[in-house]
Amino acid sequence: MFEGVKDFFSGRGRRLGKLSFTDVLISILGLIAFVIIWHLSVIILNTPYLPYPVEVLDAFFRSFSEIDPITGVTMWKNLEASLNRFLVGFLLAAIVAIPIGLGLGWSKIAETAAKPIIEIFRPIPPLAWAPFFFIVFGAFLGPVLVIFLGVLFPILSNVIFGVKSVDPNLLDAAKTLGAKQTDLFLKVIFPYTVPFLMAGVTIGLGIGWMCIVAAEMIGAEGGGVGLFIQNMNAIGRYPEMFAGMAVVAILGIITVGGARYIEIRLSKWMGVSHK
Amino acid sequence: MSILSISNLVKTFPREKGDDLVAVENFTLEVNKGEFICILGPSGCGKTTILRTIAGLENLTSGEIKVDNRVVTEPGSDRGMVFQEFALFPWRTVRRNIEFGLEIQKLSSEKRREISQTYIDLVGLRGFEDAHPYELSGGMRQRVGIARALANEPAILLMDEPFGALDAQTRNQMQNELLRIWQETKKTIVFITHSVDEAVFLADRIVVLTSRPGTIKSIHNITLPRPRSRASPVFIELRKTILDELDAARST
Repeated sequence: MFEGVKDFFSGRGRRLGKLSFTDVLISILGLIAFVIIWHLSVIILNTPYLPYPVEVLDAFFRSFSEIDPITGVTMWKNLEASLNRFLVGFLLAAIVAIPIGLGLGWSKIAETAAKPIIEIFRPIPPLAWAPFFFIVFGAFLGPVLVIFLGVLFPILSNVIFGVKSVDPNLLDAAKTLGAKQTDLFLKVIFPYTVPFLMAGVTIGLGIGWMCIVAAEMIGAEGGGVGLFIQNMNAIGRYPEMFAGMAVVAILGIITVGGARYIEIRLSKWMGVSHK
Repeated sequence: MSILSISNLVKTFPREKGDDLVAVENFTLEVNKGEFICILGPSGCGKTTILRTIAGLENLTSGEIKVDNRVVTEPGSDRGMVFQEFALFPWRTVRRNIEFGLEIQKLSSEKRREISQTYIDLVGLRGFEDAHPYELSGGMRQRVGIARALANEPAILLMDEPFGALDAQTRNQMQNELLRIWQETKKTIVFITHSVDEAVFLADRIVVLTSRPGTIKSIHNITLPRPRSRASPVFIELRKTILDELDAARST
């Protein structure tokens, strides 16, 4: 990930959005092959737990109009609930991680003091906290905090790394132009850190999205895509269960894709990349 | 009239083992207003340390540096600096790089624009105001570096091997450009280089340093009229004399 950031500053961007017609064709053929293999697997395995692709597709579209018998809401409501948790958890993590990351990157003492704490908590999977958060903070804040933890560390470590890798020449140049501490922070260190921050955000989005579905399976109220998957499994409606998984996949692609888009737009605006 | 006065400058760096490393020893120099000084020395002789100390980026161990009779303790806008690696802010356009110091002075945007345009024109970057550094060649980047330093209207321009990262042809071109800019702005310039050729081409006075610890070995007044021809016998003779001195400095 840091290699990518280096490219960012040297202006050597990854080549994106330059898919040729053959590339698209090959990708589509791959997808078709996948669906065929899936279909054949259903025939060969002959188990009620694995539905046909068409059944899943049908369940997928129906889930947006039909009410699910357990929660009594449609997929739209489930989506809304999941996205709400996701957004709150994500923003909370960003609000906490960015200033702390800037501070820890800047102050050697603060980093030395905080490092053991971070190293103790970082390896704990966010999901391990889910039961505790659910009991203590309830059905809304519980899953939100799981997402918060999932997003926190990638942003935090990327921001710390970003501050530490600020080119000392730029700091010197700013000082000789009259910059004091506040100017150095606002006009050199922060802008320098933005691409690192965005790389952390993109990683955090991916992790956060995985966290939300899993957290909802452990405990959530008022709908949620994870909850939907769990419920459909409980009542043996497997096409619906797989449809729920497809919804997760699509939303994951949209959120991470969105973050990448912002990353690219930002790099263009900041003039640190050709993209 | 002396604008920069350095007396008995000593700079040492602590080492993990053994005695401190003496980078600069008893360096004393008076620089006159409007003068073009080149400090020349073998690599590792502490010439960059001297410049950074004048800029206020390094603390001196002992001695004193005065600019316009004020003692230097920290960086200030009376001393502009141009860096070998350009040190431009990659996320800022040419114009906004040049306006960096003006923003810190909290000038209005109209005033900033007026000043930056003056220096964009001076260094020949008209038409590139909105380009980002990555879109520019090395020579053009250093033009931005020079304009950015000048926009703060410093009394002294400190240049740390500013053309060291450029190819030979661009380097010669930039030397001519710098002389033109110097003559137009009448700035005092302290220019660090390890190229004898560059020093003889540019300087009013060349200060030759010994190898570490850096101290003054000799000072040469270059009275050759400008524009100087590298092919002239006097130029070649001067270059040879100073090269021999440097060789001697290196072998002792």
